[in-house]
Amino acid sequence: MILLQSPSRFLLQILNDRLLSQDKGVDIDCQTVEFDDVRYHIQVSMRNPKVLVLSVALPLPPQEAVSFDGLPFGAIEAIKAAYGPVVQILDPPKDGFDLTLKINLAKLPSEEEQKNAILVHIASIREVVLGAPLKVFLKNLSMKIVGPEAGQPVALVHRPNESFFVIPQADRVIVIYPMRFQDSIDIVLATSFLQEFVEARRTAALNNAPTCMWSQSPPPELKGAPGSALSANAGFVTFVVNPRHVEGKKLDRTVWNLLTFHAYVSYHVKCSEGFMHTRMRRRVDTLIQALDRAKSDAEKLQKLVTGPSFKKMSMKDERERR
Amino acid sequence: MDASSRPAVVIDNGTGYTKMGFAGNVEPCFIIPTVVAVNESFSHQTKSTNKGNWLAQHTAGVMADLDYCIGEEALSRSRASTAYNLSYPIHHGQVENWDAMERFWQQCIFNYLRCDPEDHYFLLTESPLTAPENREYAGEIMFETFNIPGLYIAVQPVLALAAGYTTNKCEMTGVVVDVGDGATHVVPVADGYVIGNSIKSIPITGKDVTCFIQKLLKERGEFIPPEDSFEVVRKIKETNCYTCSDIVKSSPIDTRRALYKSQPIEVNVANHPIQRYAVWFGGSVLASTAEFYGACHTKAEYEEYGASICRTNPVFKGMY
Amino acid sequence: MANSLRLYLTCIRNTLEAAMCLQNFPCQEVERHNKPEVELKTSPELLLNPVLICRNEAEKCLIETSINSIRISMKVKQSDELENILAKKFLRFLSMRAEAFQVLRRKPVQGYDISFLITNYHCEEMHKHKLIDFIVQFMEDIDKEISELKLSVNTRGRLVATEFLKQFI
Repeated sequence: MILLQSPSRFLLQILNDRLLSQDKGVDIDCQTVEFDDVRYHIQVSMRNPKVLVLSVALPLPPQEAVSFDGLPFGAIEAIKAAYGPVVQILDPPKDGFDLTLKINLAKLPSEEEQKNAILVHIASIREVVLGAPLKVFLKNLSMKIVGPEAGQPVALVHRPNESFFVIPQADRVIVIYPMRFQDSIDIVLATSFLQEFVEARRTAALNNAPTCMWSQSPPPELKGAPGSALSANAGFVTFVVNPRHVEGKKLDRTVWNLLTFHAYVSYHVKCSEGFMHTRMRRRVDTLIQALDRAKSDAEKLQKLVTGPSFKKMSMKDERERR
Repeated sequence: MDASSRPAVVIDNGTGYTKMGFAGNVEPCFIIPTVVAVNESFSHQTKSTNKGNWLAQHTAGVMADLDYCIGEEALSRSRASTAYNLSYPIHHGQVENWDAMERFWQQCIFNYLRCDPEDHYFLLTESPLTAPENREYAGEIMFETFNIPGLYIAVQPVLALAAGYTTNKCEMTGVVVDVGDGATHVVPVADGYVIGNSIKSIPITGKDVTCFIQKLLKERGEFIPPEDSFEVVRKIKETNCYTCSDIVKSSPIDTRRALYKSQPIEVNVANHPIQRYAVWFGGSVLASTAEFYGACHTKAEYEEYGASICRTNPVFKGMY
Repeated sequence: MANSLRLYLTCIRNTLEAAMCLQNFPCQEVERHNKPEVELKTSPELLLNPVLICRNEAEKCLIETSINSIRISMKVKQSDELENILAKKFLRFLSMRAEAFQVLRRKPVQGYDISFLITNYHCEEMHKHKLIDFIVQFMEDIDKEISELKLSVNTRGRLVATEFLKQFI
C-alpha cells in the first residue's frame, strides 16, 4: 500500500456491482470526492439500466494553466482513444461538473479479461483526463517529436489553484513541482522527505531513475512564470524524464506517478505522523512503568485491595491452593 | 474552496464492519471488515540473522510498518501467507488497539475513500459506553495525524434514531436496541441526549448468533470448507434470521412521557436493506445539514484547548 | 551514550537527591489547604535558591525547590528544524497524558519544554530514589526518542522515495 493506485476503488466497485446486478431495479445517485478536489457523480436510472452517467469535476485551474473549455488540452482525444464506443461524451456537461460521460454497459466487450481491463480503465478516468497533456508531451518524447513549445515551461493544473510545470525538450522532459503544504509540521517533514528523493536517486540501484533535484528557491528554468505560481513553502522538486522512462507500457505509469507526486508525498507525510504516534505510545507505556516502579509497596497493595479487579476466591481456588 | 463546502466524511467503525462514505449519500461507499493485517516477518527476520545490527532492524521496523492492509484484503492476505498477523482494533464496541486503529483509518482515508483529510470535516461514531479518554485519543489522531479541519463524534444509537426518521419531521427521542457484531445495547435517547445511567448492555451479540449457527451446521454435519465457513454462516444469518424484542426502561421521570409516546407497541425488525448501515445513514443525514459544521470541533479549537474538547459533542437539531 | 550526557544526568541526579527534601506544610493563607509553595511563591523564606544545570546553551535543567514541593523544568536539544518539531510533537503527546504521569506538569514553565511538579505527597507515596530514577530515565528517553524519531523519518523518507523512483525503471 505504499503507492497510490490509478483506478478509483469506488468507481470500480460501482461498475462491477452494476454489471453483476443489471436486472435488479435500483436507482443509483451518489457523489464522492477524491484528493485535489476531483469530484464524481454517478447516476443510473431504472428507465435505462444499461447506462451509467458519470460526471467528473476537476480541480479549479490556476490562471497560468492551459485549458480548453475547462478541460486540460488533449483530454477529449484521450477519452475517445481510451474507451472507444463504450463511452460517449455528453455536451454540455452536467451543471457544476467539467465533464459528463455516458457509459453504455451493453457495449462492453463480452470477453471477461477485456471487459475487466476496460472497467479498470474507466475507473482511472482521473488519469486519462488530468494526465492527458502530460501524456502528450511524454509521448512526443518517446517518439522523438519536437513540438512548437520546446524549451518553454508549460503550466498544467495539478491541485486546486496550483500548477506544476513541464518543459519539453528534444531529448528530455523536465517536470518541476512547487511544493506547498498547509500545516507547519507537514512542511518540515515534507522538506526532509523531498531531500531523501535526491539522496535515494544517488544510490547505484536507482541510477536509471529520473534525475531528481530539490531547491528552496525556484529553479532558473521557471524564469518568467507568474509570481503566484512560484511561492512554495516546501521548496521545488525537479524530475528530468528521459525517453527510457516512457518506453512502451511505462508511459501510463509514468504519467500517473508524475500526476500524483504531491498526493504521494502528502500521503506519506501523514502516514509517518501516524507511525510517530505508534512509537510515542510505546514510549509513554515504558515511562509509566518506570513511574510505577517508584510507587511504594504499601500503595500498590492498597490499590490491589480496593481495585476493581479484586476477585472473590471460589471454593475451587481455595482447594487448589491447598 | 472551503472545507465546509465539501461533503463531510462519515466513518462508522463497528466491531465487525466499518462503514465509510461521504455525507449526503444514501449508501456508504465501502463496507469492509474492521481488521488490519500487519506483516511481522520483517521484524522477525532481522532478529534472528543479525542481532547486533540495530540500524537494519530499525529499517525493517519502518518497512513492516508500511506493509499492511485492511478489510477483505487483510483477510485474504493472511489466508495466503503466514507472514501477516490479523489484528482487530475494536472489541465489544471499544477501540482497544490504537496503533491498529490509526493504521486502519489511514487506509480508509487514503486508499479507500482516497480523499485528502485536510479537505473534509469528519463524523466518527462511538458506542454509548465509550470512555471520554477514548474520545480524546480519537480526536488526537484525527487532528494531529490527519490534520482534519473539524470533527464530530456521534453516539451510534442517536444516529440510528436519526436514520429512522427520514421524513421531514424528526423526533430525536426513542429507545434504540443496537445489536452489533461486538456489543448489544438498549439505549434510551431523549432529544438527542443519551440517558447514560439507563443504558442496558447485554453480552450477547451478532457474533454469538454467528457462532451458534456455525455450531448447528457442524452438528448437522454440513460440508463447508473451513475457510469459507464464516462467510457462509454470516450469509445465512443475514438472510434468514429475524428478531423480536421487548424493551425495559428506567429513565428519568421527566423524559418518560416522550419515550413512552414514541415507543412502538410492536417492534418490527424486518430485514430492511438499510439495516446493515442504519447508523452510517443517520450520520450521513446529520452531516449533510448546515448545522453540522457549526457543531463540529475545529482544528483551531483543538489547538487552543487541547484534546479535552472532544469529550463533549453538542447535540444539534438539524432535522427539526 | 555520549559522555557529556552521562555527566549532565549525573549532575541532575545528585542535585535532585540533595534538593528533594520535602515535608508537609499547610498553606499559611487558607486554612486546611495544602498548596505547592514552589508554584505560589507566597513567602520567600519557604523557597530555596533555584539551581540551573546546563549541558550547553540549548539543553538545560532548572530545579526550583520549596519546603513542600519541587519543580523541575527541562529544555530539550533541538539542533535543527526537524528535531524541533519532533520534540514539540513528542512533548505535547506526553503532556496530553499528564494525568497518567501524576508528577508531570500540564504546562511547562515558560522558557522550557517540559516541567515536573513533585510534592511531599508524591514523595510519601513513592520511593524517593526511584522517583529520581524515573526523572533521569525520562530525560534519557526523551533524548533517545527524538534521535530515533528523526532517524525513522529519514528512513521512511528514503523508502518512500525509493519506491517512487523504482516505478520509472
